[in-house]
Amino acid sequence: MSLLDVLTHVVAVVAVLHIVGLFAVRRYSGAPLWRGSLRRNVRSVGPTAATLGALLVANGAVRDVGVELSWIIGVNVTGAIHAIEGGFVADLQSFATPELTAYFSFVYVFGYVFLLTFPVVVYAVHEEPRPLLATLVAYALNYGVGFLCYVAFVAYGPRNFMPGAVESLLFTNWPEVQFLTSRVNENTNVFPSLHTSLSVTVALLAARYRAVAPGWLPIAGIGAASIAVATMYLGIHWLTDVLFGALLAAGSVAVGVRVAEEKYGGPERQGRSVGVAGGVFEQFRR
Amino acid sequence: MNRAASKPSRRSVLAALGSAAVVAGSGCLRRARNLTGWESSQPISLRIKTLPTDADPYALALARRVAAWFRKAGIDVDVLPMAEQELLRECLLRTEFDMFVMRLPERFRDPDALRTLLHSRFADAPGWQNPFGYANLEVDEALDRQRTTDGQDRWEALASIQRTIARTQPFTLLTVPDDVRAARTDAHPNWQEVELRSPLGYLRLERPQDAEEPSTLRVVGTDRRGTTNLNPLSVEFRRSGVLTGLLYDPLTREIDGETTPWLASSVSLSAESPPTAQVELREDVDWHDGEPVTAADVAFTYDLLADTSLSDDDSSVGVPSPQFRSRSTLVADAEAVEERRVEFTFEDADPSVAARALTVPILPEHVWRERTDDAAIGGISLGGVTEALVTNNIPPVGSGPFEFVRNSPRERLVLRRTEDHFSTREGTGLPDWVGRAAIDELSISVVGSGVTAVETVVDGDADVTGTAVGAETVPRIGRATGTELLVERSDRPYVLGYNTREPHLDNPRVRNTLARLVDEPFLGDDVLDGYAHAAVGPLHETDWYPNDLMWRDENPVVPFFGEEGTLDVSAAREAFREAGYQYEDGTLVGGGP
Repeated sequence: MSLLDVLTHVVAVVAVLHIVGLFAVRRYSGAPLWRGSLRRNVRSVGPTAATLGALLVANGAVRDVGVELSWIIGVNVTGAIHAIEGGFVADLQSFATPELTAYFSFVYVFGYVFLLTFPVVVYAVHEEPRPLLATLVAYALNYGVGFLCYVAFVAYGPRNFMPGAVESLLFTNWPEVQFLTSRVNENTNVFPSLHTSLSVTVALLAARYRAVAPGWLPIAGIGAASIAVATMYLGIHWLTDVLFGALLAAGSVAVGVRVAEEKYGGPERQGRSVGVAGGVFEQFRR
Repeated sequence: MNRAASKPSRRSVLAALGSAAVVAGSGCLRRARNLTGWESSQPISLRIKTLPTDADPYALALARRVAAWFRKAGIDVDVLPMAEQELLRECLLRTEFDMFVMRLPERFRDPDALRTLLHSRFADAPGWQNPFGYANLEVDEALDRQRTTDGQDRWEALASIQRTIARTQPFTLLTVPDDVRAARTDAHPNWQEVELRSPLGYLRLERPQDAEEPSTLRVVGTDRRGTTNLNPLSVEFRRSGVLTGLLYDPLTREIDGETTPWLASSVSLSAESPPTAQVELREDVDWHDGEPVTAADVAFTYDLLADTSLSDDDSSVGVPSPQFRSRSTLVADAEAVEERRVEFTFEDADPSVAARALTVPILPEHVWRERTDDAAIGGISLGGVTEALVTNNIPPVGSGPFEFVRNSPRERLVLRRTEDHFSTREGTGLPDWVGRAAIDELSISVVGSGVTAVETVVDGDADVTGTAVGAETVPRIGRATGTELLVERSDRPYVLGYNTREPHLDNPRVRNTLARLVDEPFLGDDVLDGYAHAAVGPLHETDWYPNDLMWRDENPVVPFFGEEGTLDVSAAREAFREAGYQYEDGTLVGGGP
C-alpha cells in the first residue's frame, strides 16, 4: 500500500461522509441547504481563502525549513511537558481495547478530514458569507500560530518519549497511514495539537452558527471531543498539547468571528436562548 | 548541569546581606566575608540526551530505564530526545551534555581505535574523539604503548586499558543489541549469509534464479540523513558508513577477516621503525565523473584528512577531519612517487597497526581541493571549520562499486552499479562474489518508523529494511508470508556516555557507582526482548579481551546493586555516602563541606 492508496482511501471515505452528512443536515433542518449563492460567498471570502491557501502551500513548502530552524532556535520542551503531566497518556492507554483503537484511528484520520472540510461546504452554500469567512480566518490563524509554535518549540510526542509505557497505537495497527502523516507533519511538531485546535475550532463555530445547520453542532461536538481524545489515546500528543490546542482554537474563533461580524455585521437576534456555548461567545465578542 | 540550581547559592545571599552589613558595622562584615568561602550542598541533577523511538527502536527506552534506576538512588535525572543529527552535534561537536545514550560506531571493535576514543590528547577534538573528556595518565600511556608493540606486550597494554576503563567508566556499556531486519525471501536467496551492516554485504547478495534484468534492491529505512548528505567526513550524518562505503573505495578492505588490497593492487609494508608502505594502485580506475584515479588523489586524501584546510603553516594543527582521525593520525606522510604508486611513511607504530590507515576512503582531489576554505554562510566565514567538513557532497564523486543517480531530500536515494568497476574484472585477486554484481540499482527510501518500514517490506514495496528495527516487529515479520526475519549480531553496543568535564561526573568513583545502578542483562531482556547480550567493554569477543572481564552472571567489575532489575536502594545510597555524598529527604546532594 503506497501513499497514493492511502490518499485515495481517505478521499473516498471522506466523500461518502460528506454525502451522508449533507443529506442528514438537510433532513434535520427541514430546509434546503442551498439557500445562498455559492458564487457570491466565494467571491466575498476570496482574499481570506487565498490567504489560507497560500498559508497551507507555504506550510508544506517551508516545513523542512521550519524543522531546520526549529533545531537552531527552538526550545526542546519534551522533558518539561512530561514533567508537568507525567504519565497521563499512559494511563489513558490503559483503557485501550481493539474497538476503541479502531474508533479513534478512524476519527483521527477520516473523521478529522471530514470535520474540517464539511463546514466549509455547508457554509459556502449558506445564504450569507459570515460563517464561511469566520471559519477561514480561524483556520488560517490556527495554521499560522501552530507553525510559529512548531518553530519555537521542539517536542516529541508520548509515543516517541515513553516507549513501553505508551504504545504508538495508530502506526502499529495501521502502519500505512504513516506514509500520509509523515508527509504532512514532523514527529517533532506536537506542541500544540493542530488536530485538536482545528476540530475544536469547528465545534465552536458550529455552536456560534448553529442556526445554519442545526444538526451539525452535536456531530461537530462529539467529533472534536473524539479527535482530542484520539490524539492522546493513540500516543501522538500530550495532554498539554491538547489543552493548548483548545486554547488556540478559542482564540482563533474569537478573532475569526469578530472579523466576520465586523465585515458583515452581527447576527440577527434569534428568538431563543443563547445557550452555554453561545454565552461563551458573547464574551468572545468583546 | 543544564538546569539552574534550585537553591540560591550562599554567595548570592551573602552578597545581598553584605551591603546591609556595612551599616551594621565592620564586625559583621568580617563574619560575612568568612562565610563566603563555604558553598552549600546542591541536589545533583543530570540530563540524558538520546534519540526518539522513531529514529532508534531502543535508545529512549534504555535511557528511561537507566533514569528510573538513577532516580531510585536519589538523583534528579531527566531524558531528552532529539534528532540524530542534532544529538551528534550537541554531544560530539559542542560537548553540551551530561550523559548520552547512543550506539558506539563499529570501528571501536578495533583496539587502536580506542586511542582516539579515550586518550586525553583528544579530549577537545570534535567527533568520536574522546567525547567524554576522559583523562587518565596510565590509560594514555598504555594507549600509546599498544600502538607501537605487538604480541603479548600489546595484549597486556590493551588488557590494562580495558580493566581501568571498566573501573573508571568513561561510559557504561548498556547492552550489545542484535540487529533485526525484515527481508523479502524471493528477492535474494542468501540473505542469511550476508552482513548488511557493511557495504560488502550488499555486494555479496546473490541474484535469484529467475531474476529479470536489471535488478533493483529496494531498501527501506528510518534514517533520512543519507538522502540529504553523502559526505564521508561529516560527523552528524554518518551512522554505519554503508552508503559512503559503496560510493568510495579505500586502498584496502577487510574481507572475511583478511586485509585485502582493494583500490590498491598491491601493498608492501616494511617493518622499519617507523614503518613504511609502498602502495601500487590498480590500472584504469576512474572516478565516477570519468577522471582517472591517480596516486596524487591518494596523497591528497591523507593530507586532507590530516588538515582539511591544507594550510602551509606548520605551526598550527589546522582543521583535521573528525572522521577517520584514529586512522589518519597513523600516517606521517603519503607521497605520490609515480602515476600509480604512493609511498607511505607512518608514525611510530607497529606495522600491523599502521596498516589500518589504508582503510580510509580515497577522495578525488579535483573535487575536494576547492573545499579547503573556511565554511561560510552568505559570504560570512565562520572560522574553525572548512567547507570539506560541512558540505553535503551531493552529487558525490567517488570511485566505488556504486555511483550516485539521484536523491529526493528526506525521501529517496538511488545509486546504481558503476559500469566496469575494477572489482568486476578478471584477475583482481578479490573473492569471486565481489565481481558477481547481483544488484544493478540500489534504491533507498525513508519512512517514519521501524514498524512502517517492516510493513513496507511485508507489502512487497521494498526488499529489506536497511536500518535495524525493534524486536516488537518480530511477530509481524514472522506472520507475513514471503518475508523472512534476519537477526544479525551487531558490533555497535549501546553506551551511556558521561561528560567527565561536568561536576560530579568528573569523579571516577561517582561514575563507578552510577554504573552499578545499571542491570545490563535486565535491559537486554526487558527492553530488547532478549535480542541482545551483555558485555563489559567494547572489545568483548575479540582476541584482545582479557578473561577476567568476561561476563559471568553479573558484571565482574561493577556488579549491579540488586537483582533482576530491582535496585537495592540502601546499598546504592551507602555507596554514594562512601563516595562523600549525602542524602537530604532522599535526594542525593553533593558539593558541600
